[in-house]
Amino acid sequence: MPSFQSDDQRYAPTLPKRRQELLKWNGWGYKDSKFILNKDNHVELTGERYRLSGLTMPLLRDWMIQTLGVNLEHKSPAQPERTAADIPIPIKNEAFLLDLKKAGIPFSDDSQDRLFRAHGHTLHEIFILREGMFQRLPDLVAWPASHSDVVKVVALAAKHNVVIMPFGGGTSVSAALECPVTESRMILSLDTSQMNKILWIDEQNLTARIEAGVIGQDLERWLAEKGYCTGHEPDSIEFSSLGGWVATRASGMKKNIYGNIEDLLVHVQMVTPQGVVEKSCQVPRMSSGPDIHHFILGSEGTLGVITEVTLKIRPIPLCKKYGSIVFPDFESGVGCLREVARQRCAPASIRLMDNEQFQFGHALKPESSSYFSGIVDGIKKFYITKIKGFKPQELSVATLLFEGTNEEVAAQEKRVYEIAAKFGGLPGGEDNGQRGYMLTFVIAYLRDIGFDYHCVAESFETSVPWDRVLDLCRNVKDRLHRECKERGVQFPAFATCRVTQTYDVGACVYFYFAFNYRSMSNPVHVYEQIEACARDEILANGGSISHHHGVGKLRQRWLPRTVSEVGIGMMRAVKQYLDPQDIFANGNLIGPGQLESKL
Amino acid sequence: MSSSEEQSRNSWIIEDDPSKVSSKHKDGFEDILEERRRTSDLRFIFRSRDVPVYKYSHPRSAQQIKDDVLKSDRVKYAVEQVSESTGTSTKEVYEEVQAILDEMAHAYKLGAIRALAMVLTKTMKRLYRRLYVNEEGINKLRSTIKEYPVIILPSHRSYADFLLVSYLFYNYDLPLPVIAAAMDFMSMKFMGWLLRSAGAFYIRRTFSNDQLYWAVFTEYVQTQVCNGDAPVEFYVEGTRSRTAKTYVPKLGMLKASLEPYFKAHIPDLMVVPISISYDRTLEESLYAYELLGVPKPKESTSGLLKARSILSEDFGNVHMFVGEPISVRQFCDGKVDRIVHSTAPRYIASLTESEEALIQDFAYHVVLEQQKQMIISPFVLIATVLMQNRDGIPLRQLVKEVEWLKRQTANLGGYVDWPGSESAESVVQHQLQLHGNILTLTDEAFVELRQSKPPPNVSKEMQRDIVISTGALQIMTALYRNQLLYLFVRVAFIAVSVNSSLHDTLTLDELYQRYSFLEQLFQREFIFMPGHTRQDFDKSILHLTHGGGLMVDDNRVLIKRSTNKYSTFLSQMFEPFLLGYWVVCQYLLSLPGDIHGKPLPKTHKATSQDVQQLVVRLLQEGVVKHYEIQSLDLLGNALLSLTSMGAITKDKRNGEVYLCPNQIVVSRISENLGRYIDLPSIPGSLLVPEVKQVAVPAKL
Repeated sequence: MPSFQSDDQRYAPTLPKRRQELLKWNGWGYKDSKFILNKDNHVELTGERYRLSGLTMPLLRDWMIQTLGVNLEHKSPAQPERTAADIPIPIKNEAFLLDLKKAGIPFSDDSQDRLFRAHGHTLHEIFILREGMFQRLPDLVAWPASHSDVVKVVALAAKHNVVIMPFGGGTSVSAALECPVTESRMILSLDTSQMNKILWIDEQNLTARIEAGVIGQDLERWLAEKGYCTGHEPDSIEFSSLGGWVATRASGMKKNIYGNIEDLLVHVQMVTPQGVVEKSCQVPRMSSGPDIHHFILGSEGTLGVITEVTLKIRPIPLCKKYGSIVFPDFESGVGCLREVARQRCAPASIRLMDNEQFQFGHALKPESSSYFSGIVDGIKKFYITKIKGFKPQELSVATLLFEGTNEEVAAQEKRVYEIAAKFGGLPGGEDNGQRGYMLTFVIAYLRDIGFDYHCVAESFETSVPWDRVLDLCRNVKDRLHRECKERGVQFPAFATCRVTQTYDVGACVYFYFAFNYRSMSNPVHVYEQIEACARDEILANGGSISHHHGVGKLRQRWLPRTVSEVGIGMMRAVKQYLDPQDIFANGNLIGPGQLESKL
Repeated sequence: MSSSEEQSRNSWIIEDDPSKVSSKHKDGFEDILEERRRTSDLRFIFRSRDVPVYKYSHPRSAQQIKDDVLKSDRVKYAVEQVSESTGTSTKEVYEEVQAILDEMAHAYKLGAIRALAMVLTKTMKRLYRRLYVNEEGINKLRSTIKEYPVIILPSHRSYADFLLVSYLFYNYDLPLPVIAAAMDFMSMKFMGWLLRSAGAFYIRRTFSNDQLYWAVFTEYVQTQVCNGDAPVEFYVEGTRSRTAKTYVPKLGMLKASLEPYFKAHIPDLMVVPISISYDRTLEESLYAYELLGVPKPKESTSGLLKARSILSEDFGNVHMFVGEPISVRQFCDGKVDRIVHSTAPRYIASLTESEEALIQDFAYHVVLEQQKQMIISPFVLIATVLMQNRDGIPLRQLVKEVEWLKRQTANLGGYVDWPGSESAESVVQHQLQLHGNILTLTDEAFVELRQSKPPPNVSKEMQRDIVISTGALQIMTALYRNQLLYLFVRVAFIAVSVNSSLHDTLTLDELYQRYSFLEQLFQREFIFMPGHTRQDFDKSILHLTHGGGLMVDDNRVLIKRSTNKYSTFLSQMFEPFLLGYWVVCQYLLSLPGDIHGKPLPKTHKATSQDVQQLVVRLLQEGVVKHYEIQSLDLLGNALLSLTSMGAITKDKRNGEVYLCPNQIVVSRISENLGRYIDLPSIPGSLLVPEVKQVAVPAKL
C-alpha cells in the first residue's frame, strides 16, 4: 500500500493564511476577477482565471436594464475597506491565550483576519460588509495544523470556557458563520486551512485519507496527479472545504456517478469536548446501531471539529463530454428528467433551466470570437424557433455532462437523447451545455456587480418529490413576484429556477432571485422577508428546508416543523452529551434560544 | 373665438338639466343594455372576443378536460378501490366513470356561446329596463383572471342569475365561466344542450356515499380550477333563495374547489363574489306559493316558454356588483399549515379539520360580502313599512316612513338605489306601479296589499283559501322586506332584548346573553359569522349608542330611555320570526306522548307541514296576524335550529330521518323566547287538529 507523507511543498494550499490578500474581503472569489462595466459600457469579467475572463458580454448590460430595471446612472458602491478602528474590540480570555501560546498553535487577533471569518456569503452578510459592520466577530483566529492540534485547542477551550467556531472555506450560505451577538465569552474561529494534506491514498480499496481543511480545487488537483478524483464538485469547489462539506451534508453536481458527500464518506474523525468520535474500521457498510456518521454529517459545527476524513476515490474518467437539450417548455423538460430518473440512466449531471434562466444564460454569451459562429447561432435559432416552432419565451434547456469511457458516454448520450426526443427535446449542442455549467460558477461573481447597481440577489434550493416539482417551481416563483409587489418593490423581480439533481423519488430545485431595490430603505430586510415567504411556500409545496445548503441560523425556524419536536429533542440530547458547556456555540441548527441552558 | 352664447354659460357643461341626463351611468355603475338597444345585436354577437387568460393555463378543449379526468390518479385510485370492493372489473368501472363524465361535463363551444348570447340579449332587453354593472369590479376581475384561477360566486335569488352572469362576461369579453348546475336543467331538451355547450356542467344533488361519483366530480372541478381553463362558477348557497334572504352556505362544492390551494397545486385562488339585486324578481309569485307548500312546476323547456308571458312584464332594473376578488391565500394565511399534505399523495382526499373549519368561515365570509354588496331597491323600504302596516297606510305617511327608513339603512351602510333627482313621492309612486301586482294605491291616496277582506260568513274551505292567498301576498311582500333584514338583524336583536325587558335597567352582560340566545336561535334564518358573536354585539351596541337609540350608563342599559321609535320599528320588523319559532315550539310541546311520555317521531317534512296546518288554524281564528309564518322555509329553519340546539334529536329509520323533540329543552327555549314578545294565547282545541280520538295524554 503506497502512501505519501505530508509534504509542505507538495501540499501548499492555493489560498494563503491571510486569505483577504487573494480573495475579496466583501464579495465573492478572487480579487482579480470581477464583473465591471468597461470603457465601452459593456460588461466584462476581469482577470485571466476563467473562460469568460477578459471577454465582454454585449447582451448582459441590456439584460440588466430590461430584466431588473437597472439604471447605469444610479450606482450604489460599497463602503471602503474597513480598518481596525471600524471593527469591535475583541473579548480576551487571557488564561486561554497563554495556554494556547504554550501549546504552540498559531493564532491572530488581527482585525482583518477576524473580519474575514465573521461571515459566510448570504446576502445579509455581504450587505453588512458593503454597508455596515457586524456587531459580533470572532475574537481570535487559530490555525491548528493537525488533528492533535485540534484536540489540544478543544481541550483548552473547554478548560477556559472559550467558544469555538470551526471555519473551513467560509462559503456558507446559511448564516452559519455569523457570531451569535449575545455571546459574551471569547469566540475562537478555528481555521482548518492548515490541515489540508492528503495523508494517504489506498489504491486497493480506492480510498484516500484527507485532512478536513483541504479546499475542493486543491484536493481534486492533487488527486488528479495520481490519476484519481473524488468526483465531488459542489458549485463552490474553488473555495469550500472537505470539513465543510461533511458538516453541511454537501452535494456535488456529479452525484449521479460519485454520490453525495454521505455516499463518499467512508470514515470521519471529529473532535468534541467529550473526546474524539470515530469508527474502528473502514468498511463499505455495517450494522452497528444508528450510524454515528450521521450525527456528524450535517452537524454544522455544533458538536465538534471534523479533522480527518476518508473518502472514496475513483480513477479519472477517460471521456468527459457536455451536451444540451432544448425543450419546447419547462414542463416537457421536467417530464424528460423524471423519465431519465425512472430509467436510472442519468448522466454525471443533468440540469434543466427554466425559460428565464435560459435567457439569462443567453445574456451571458461572450462576444462571438468569429463571424462564423455568429452565423451558426443564427441558423440554430432559426431551426428551433421557426422550423420546430419553439417559442423563445417558453423554451427550456437541459444541460448535460457525461463521464466514463468513450463507449459508455456514447451509449449514455444515445439513451438520454432518445428519451428527450419523446418529450419534444432537441439536442442543443455541447457549447450550450458547457455555458450552462459556467453560469453556476460565475453567478456568485455576478451578484457583486448587481450590488453596485441597487440589485440584491440570492439563490436558495430545496428538494421535492417528482409529482410536485412543477407546482413547486411555479408557485414559488409566483410567490416571489407577488411578495415583491406587495412589499413595494418598484421594479419587476427576477425569479428563475432549475432542476439540478434527479433522484429516484424526486429532484433538487435551485432558485435564483433578484430585485432592484432603488427607492427602498431597507432592502435586506425586505429581501429576508420575501425569502422566508418563499421557504414557507416551498414547505407548503412538499419541498424540504434545504437540499444541501444546510440550516445554519437562516433556516432554523423551519427545523422543528421539518424533523418534529421529538427530532429536535434527539438532536438536543446528543448536543447535551457531547458539549454540555456549549463550547461549539455557533448557534446553528437548534439555535441558542432553543438550547436548554447556557453555562 | 367662442360665440356669445357659449360665453354666457360654463362652456364645458353640455347638459345642465338633470332630468335630461340619461341614467346610463350612475355612481360607479354602467347600464350595459343601453348600447344593445342602439346598435346591432348581430354585430355584438359575432364580434371577435379578446378574452384574458390565466397566465399558467394550458389551452384545452372540453374533450381534453374529460380525457384528463379519465386519466387522473384520483380517478384511477377510486376505480381500483371500487373494483376491489365490488368485484367489478376495472374496465367496467371505467365505463361507469365515462358515463358519469358524459352526464357531467360541459361541452364549451364558442358557437353555442354566441347563440346563447343572442338569446340572452333579446331576453334581457325585454325583461329589464337597465342592467347596471360596477365597471371597476369588471376591471379588477379582468386583471385577476390573468393572474390566478378564479371562482365566481354569485348570489342566487333567481334562475336569471346565471344567465345574467354569462351575459355579463360575454359583454365584457371575459372568458365565459363554467357553471355547476343542478341536474334538473339537464333534462330540459334544447336548453339543457345549449347551456351545456355554453359551459354548464351538471352535478347530482346528493352523492356523498358514491365514492366513484365523488372522485370524478372532484377531479373534474379541480382540474379546471388548477389549469384555470375558465372561471368556475357555482352558488355557495347551494340553491335559489326563495325568500330573498341569504341562505346558510353549503360547503361541498367550495371544499372541492379550494382543496387544490391547500394541496399547493396552485399559487393562489381568487374568489369573486357577485351580488345580483333585482328591482323585481321573476319568480316572486312562484316562490310565494312554493313557501306555502304548493309544489313548483318541474323545469322544462315548455315551462320556460310558457313563462314567455312574463316577457311582456316590466321587471325594472338589475344591479350586478362584481366584488373585490378574495385571495384564498390571504384568507388562509397563518391559519392553516399546508405542510400536512406533504406525506401522502395529493389525489387522496384529506382536508384537515382546521381546513374544513376555515372553509366554513370562508363560505360565511363570502355570503356576508355578497350581502354587503347588494343594492337595496326603494321598494324594499316600502315593503318593510307595509309589513308593519298590513292593513294599509296613507301614501303621505308611507313616504315619510320610507324616507326615515332610508336614513336608518344608510346609517348601517346599506346602499339604497335612490334616484337623487326625483322627489320621494314620485320614487314611491313609481315603485308602486312596478309592483302593482302586490300593492295598490287607492283613489284616496291609500296604499294597501291587493287583498280582498274576507266576507264575514264564509265556509271553512273558503276561509282556508283566503288564508292562503293572503299568505301569498304577504309572503311576496316579505320577499322584498327580507332584503333589508341582514342589515338590521344585529341591532334589532339588541332592540328586541331591550324593548322586552321588564326592569328599569339591563346590564350589558345580560343583554349579551339575550342577544346571543337570539343569534343562536336564528342561525339558520340569518347569516352570522361563526365565532363572531361578541364582535357583532359590540359593534351593534356602538352603532346604537352613537345613533342615540341606546342609552348606556355604567355598563347598564337604561330601558325607558332606550325605547323609542327606532327600537320599536326594529322589534316589529323581526316579530314574525320570533312568533313563528315560538309557534313551532308550541306545536312540539303539544305532541301527544307514547307510553313513555315521549312524542312519536315524525319526518322533517311531515313536522313542518303539521306546524303549517297549525299556523293556518291560528290565522283563521285570528290568534296570530302574521300570514308569513306559514312559510315552510321559516318553519323548516326553526326545526333545523332547534335540532342544533339539542331540542330535537334526529333518528334514522329505514334511511329516513325522523325528528324526536326533547320536551324539556323545547319548553326551556319556548319560555326563553316568550320573554321577547307578547304571546298570543292559543286555545287548546287549536293545537290538536280535528281530534278524532280523544286521547289527550294526562302528562301534558
